[in-house]
Amino acid sequence: MIKISKLIFVSLFLFSSYCLNSQILDNLTASYDSYSSYYLDDSKTGDFNFEDRFRSNNYLNLKSNIGYDWSFELQIESYLPKALLNFSPNFKETGISTFNIQYNKNDLNLSLGNFYEQFGSGMILRSWEDKDLGINNSIRGLNGKYRINDEINVTTLIGDQKKGFKYSTALVVGFDTEIDISEILSNDNTFITGFSYVGRSDEKSSSELYNKMTNLFSSRLDFSSSNFYSSLEIIQKSKDPIMLFGSLSDSFVKKGSALLYNAGIIKDGFGFDFTFRRLENMSLFSEREAFGNIYSESIVNYLPALTKQHDYSLANLYVYSSQPNVSFQSQKLMKAGEIGVQADLYYFLEKESFFGGKYGTNIAINGSFWNNLDGDFDYENQDYNTTLFGFGEKYFSELSFEIRKKWSSKLDNIFLYVNQYYNKRLVEETIGEVKSNVFVLESTFKINENKSLRLELQHLSTKDDMKNWAAFALEYNLSSAVSLYISDMYNYQSPKKENKIHYYNVGGSFNKGINRYAVNYGRQRGGLVCNGGICRYVPESTGFSLTITSSFF
Amino acid sequence: MKIHLSFVCFLMLFSITLSSQNKMPNVILKTIEGKTVNSKSTSNKNGLTIYSFWATWCVPCINELDAINKDFDKWKLETNVKLVAVSTDDARTKRRVRPLVNGKKWNFDVLVDENQAFKRALNINGIPHTIVTKGSKIIYRKIGYKPGEEEDLYKFILKNSPIKN
Repeated sequence: MIKISKLIFVSLFLFSSYCLNSQILDNLTASYDSYSSYYLDDSKTGDFNFEDRFRSNNYLNLKSNIGYDWSFELQIESYLPKALLNFSPNFKETGISTFNIQYNKNDLNLSLGNFYEQFGSGMILRSWEDKDLGINNSIRGLNGKYRINDEINVTTLIGDQKKGFKYSTALVVGFDTEIDISEILSNDNTFITGFSYVGRSDEKSSSELYNKMTNLFSSRLDFSSSNFYSSLEIIQKSKDPIMLFGSLSDSFVKKGSALLYNAGIIKDGFGFDFTFRRLENMSLFSEREAFGNIYSESIVNYLPALTKQHDYSLANLYVYSSQPNVSFQSQKLMKAGEIGVQADLYYFLEKESFFGGKYGTNIAINGSFWNNLDGDFDYENQDYNTTLFGFGEKYFSELSFEIRKKWSSKLDNIFLYVNQYYNKRLVEETIGEVKSNVFVLESTFKINENKSLRLELQHLSTKDDMKNWAAFALEYNLSSAVSLYISDMYNYQSPKKENKIHYYNVGGSFNKGINRYAVNYGRQRGGLVCNGGICRYVPESTGFSLTITSSFF
Repeated sequence: MKIHLSFVCFLMLFSITLSSQNKMPNVILKTIEGKTVNSKSTSNKNGLTIYSFWATWCVPCINELDAINKDFDKWKLETNVKLVAVSTDDARTKRRVRPLVNGKKWNFDVLVDENQAFKRALNINGIPHTIVTKGSKIIYRKIGYKPGEEEDLYKFILKNSPIKN
């Protein structure tokens, strides 16, 4: 492997020398990200029981134009000596992660190599990169886009999907078209309709009851005026086998579907948004066997949890992850998907009004509930029939209330209250349910032009599970470049004495233009780590970490 | 470890040789109404353009845009600067963009970069991330936001703006 790495290095060196003498360089942009950790033994949470205490993930991305119409992108990744804990073993050593060449002229865009794409809201297809979660499910192949008269967009793609440095053996094909009807009719309101097709051919699995190819069809309609908008998206998925206790069933084979409706009203200083979504047997992996893998590899479509994405640690303790799948665990634990709603309300209390005060006040209210599908479940014969708008047992519900208030040119406050219900038994397929209340108070105090202090106080109260938690964070911004922080999270009421652990962290960061360096020492809590509605489990760890992100332009 | 070092050396070599001027890429974005636009057409023909990359779930991003919004009428009047707030919200949180923008009475353009093509084309690692362009040239970049930094940004705008009223 070292030889290969050297070869890559030499070729890159030669390549860069070549670049020195060419116009490619004039347009070259590069970015470099590095995330390193040194893991320590911890008397409270246990020893580090894995190989290599020092681990590092590194990403170098290069982009450039070649002439007017061509461009390329290259990403090299290095996981040395090993990838950080909780990353897929398919990320190892150094290699070319993604590469593509693009041709872009007028309304035509062709891409050969790795590409990222999304159809509609992503429920039928989305390929994207998320370094924090170790997701890069870009598709390697051909991606073509064509725009006709600013009215019709056509996209096609074919390729295999990336997993770590490897590729899945299955083939993904897709077609999408989006028609702007209002543009054609020269209407002031916006009317857009779209149709998509996605096919996934998994050579490794097929039976008499299902094909190696799974087909998905979707249609969508968006309407938007100056103060109202609404959109509808419907997807049908052809027969796909159900995963039962880690293997694909030959007899339990079902179709899937998705329905998403969203509408909102907007006025100056006011916004209301409502979403309804129903998912039944909707997961799609480029390899069927990858179903439910803990690294979120081989995901073809994007089915995030539609709940408020919180920025505070205790509000994320009992975080919901979407339940799009069929799961038959026992007579009492059978799921076929999820159904639910989410609503958001934003309101701005005017400046100089009674409640608004001198600077005005922002209010945000969010509510959501998500349930299992209702229907007849037959554990013995492994089958089910669902009703279209029936609500089964509840998975999760949440109501949150947020006020942002500026008191003076020096002091800002954010107050957040969250009421949560989390059905741990049904979602995580374990035991218990949790009703909790979370309070957060954040204050930012501006000391002078460049110095500020930010204090975050959090409390979670519950009679269930691990009982009450408290947390705080204090951040001191010394200048526009330097920032220091200290934080702690403590399960002070834990029923188990050995679980009364301080999850403390201290660290700092240094920013200079677009370069950022951050160091941290502390204890990370194990559990679900979520980003953009996709969650995965990470083990508990203690240690030092160093993050470098920089770009050159 | 050796390879890691060579990797860094390689990068250093690049960073030394890179020219400091760069052009804005051209990718497809959506307006909050869902219309398709080319990023090229979003820049200010007459003055500077600020591109601020944000998301509805990013607290410092919203703090920054709130802080700018407070004085933005003045900025516009004095320098004719244009601000494009590029939402990087994906399908999960995209629906909150329009109500939030209205609820906050932000007085600038908002575009949606749902699968982050624009963000990726500009090699942006994290948000908040601010870019200032003059014509199609990038003249300023910054990551992160701390209270008070909007003043530094405005000083830069004042210094570099072709228009000073």
